[in-house]
Amino acid sequence: MSITVESSPDGATKRTGQRVREALLGWAFLLPAMAIFVTFFYYPLYRLIDMSLHRENRFGTAAPYVGPSQLVDTLSGSDFLEGVKHSGLYMVYTVPLGILLGILLAVAANRRLKGIRVFQTIFSSTVATSVAVASVIFFTLVNPEVGYFKDVSWLSLSNPDTALFSVSLSSVWQNLGLTFIIVLASLQAIPTEVEEAAALDGYGPVRHFLRITVPLISPALMFLAVVLVVAALQAYAQIEVLTNGGPGTSTQTLLFKIADPQGIRPLGIRASMSIGLFALTAIVAAGQYALLSKRVHYGD
Amino acid sequence: MSGVTFDEVTKRFGDTTAVENMSLEVADGEFMVLLGPSGCGKSTALRMIAGLEEVSDGMLSIGNRVVNNIPPRERDIAMVFQSYALYPHMSVRKNIESPLVANRANRLPAGERSERIDEAAEVLGLTDYLDRKPGELSGGQRQRVALARAIVRRPEVFLMDEPLSNLDAKLRTQTRLELVELHRRLRTTFVYVTHDQVEAMTMADRIAIINDGHVQQVGRPQEVYDRPANLFVARFIGSPPMNTISGTVGTSGTGGNVATEAGVVAVAELSGSRAGDEVVLGVRPEYLKPRDPSKDDPGAGGLRARVENIEMLGHERHLLTRVGNEVMVARLDPALPPPSIGDEVVLEADAANVYLFDPSTTERLGSGTSTPTATVVADG
Ligand SMILES: Nc1ncnc2c1ncn2[C@@H]1O[C@H](COP(=O)(O)OP(=O)(O)O)[C@@H](O)[C@H]1O
Ligand SMILES: [Mg+2]
Repeated sequence: MSITVESSPDGATKRTGQRVREALLGWAFLLPAMAIFVTFFYYPLYRLIDMSLHRENRFGTAAPYVGPSQLVDTLSGSDFLEGVKHSGLYMVYTVPLGILLGILLAVAANRRLKGIRVFQTIFSSTVATSVAVASVIFFTLVNPEVGYFKDVSWLSLSNPDTALFSVSLSSVWQNLGLTFIIVLASLQAIPTEVEEAAALDGYGPVRHFLRITVPLISPALMFLAVVLVVAALQAYAQIEVLTNGGPGTSTQTLLFKIADPQGIRPLGIRASMSIGLFALTAIVAAGQYALLSKRVHYGD
Repeated sequence: MSGVTFDEVTKRFGDTTAVENMSLEVADGEFMVLLGPSGCGKSTALRMIAGLEEVSDGMLSIGNRVVNNIPPRERDIAMVFQSYALYPHMSVRKNIESPLVANRANRLPAGERSERIDEAAEVLGLTDYLDRKPGELSGGQRQRVALARAIVRRPEVFLMDEPLSNLDAKLRTQTRLELVELHRRLRTTFVYVTHDQVEAMTMADRIAIINDGHVQQVGRPQEVYDRPANLFVARFIGSPPMNTISGTVGTSGTGGNVATEAGVVAVAELSGSRAGDEVVLGVRPEYLKPRDPSKDDPGAGGLRARVENIEMLGHERHLLTRVGNEVMVARLDPALPPPSIGDEVVLEADAANVYLFDPSTTERLGSGTSTPTATVVADG
């Protein structure tokens, strides 16, 4: 025989019909994933762009096509820029502090002590708590009338200068469970013999931590940095529960303005802001990757 | 340089006693192998020298300094782990340099550091790999990096816990030689842990055989092979191990004999036992051979055996036989025609190379007098 054939396990020759059937089967397997992506990602993205190109009239009765002008106006407007500033601050307040506290708790709980599991469970408990519930709990702490911390001025929710920081602290606390679990797991994945070799080499506690431990858990830290940045840009429930964007607009993050619970912004503007948030997220992620990936060591 | 001394050292983990009343003196510059089966406490003993485990009882010294309460990094030792324990995020150079820079207080000047690194890399053939990460090296190369990291610091004592067990057989044999060579060069005290008696026999100046947390015997390789202190050592050293069978002492003519369930074995030296004593008789495979059938003499004695298997090793054959309830192995010259599987044969032991053991204490009879150089720690 001079024709090349593929043989299937039973030794039979594949015909064209069979190939088509296999290709169809392949697409059939892809279909569920494709359906989900198209329904929940590509189609909404298309609608978003479409919405940003239409400007609603004052009564919301008509939305004629206006091209990119609305998008440009929105992204250069003070409302959007304030949102960017608040979201950025939220990130700055939550990400480093969150990672730092997570490491601190994980290092403290990473010991072979009696009853350490109790602490490990307590530290990770916020993972199983919904944002809304956790925010209500946090609110009882900072409640201006009856809260335990009502006299701590820098935690005040009613002062426009401190409200955003106070809300972000609740985020730090809520994310702490996740941060703790991830860091603890990666600490426990460090081989005992490597720790012992470091002890014999003569590293003191601080240098041991900086030279050995941090590089070895760097993939987990990188992961957390990305996850916490995304969480900061997407924070919503805690803001709504604790301040509802106030006092004034002092806790209105970009996402809060897009969700717009008071319903003050037309759909086209919110769609334009969404595109801005999308771009901002992409820029931050790329920056993070460029900055951190060289310092991250992934296994061997 | 300095030796290591265990003075009645005990290590307990809760209810488990890993090392009990261990007394052992490792001389300055000696290559000492701690040999024993898995779980016997040899790693625990080594880790106590390193300071990775605390001593529960007794006194442990390095040189003439008691180190019970001295932290690992102040003990001036280096350790090679079974898993190598390299730092995966550091280059080979940084790994080797690590013990020289870990402690800022006694850091060497950069010039001397790189001199030492280059020298260690040279000795271990790592010069071309200094800029790689451990993940880019083979198992054997990683093992060398671990060794290089140990030698750069020029410690008083090298500790090694089964450092060859992750290498393939060929590399293991080669590295064994290199370790001996390294020891010869450095003339530093080595304490080396293994469960492999071949490693122990080939590398050690002296071997300490450990079982169940107790030192059974300490001696030079040939010494523990020729004059095992007890049944455990007799069966642990040697491959295939010594054959043993129980019997009763009888006397005849000049020497004596031991009557077993499978026949009578002539013994040249009764080692203080008397007629009627219960003993365990031991004979190494090389001193056991099937009698030439043409010279068969029913009155001559020997052990009745049935051939169960024959292992061909090229330079020799192992005849696996069943003798009563015991399995016995005879080492045969491959030039001679072997019996066939299933054959009934009579095994003859060389009367001058038969050992007798006390069945209650398991001690070798006469070991107290005939092995003055070996330290025997009796237990029970
Ligand atoms: N950290 C530990 N905790 C509890 N038991 C241990 C510990 N380390 C070793 N042991 C026990 O001590 C005994 C000796 O262990 P080890 O020294 O590791 O043996 P090996 O001779 O195989 O190296 C074993 O029974 C082991 O289970
Ligand atoms: Mg061990």
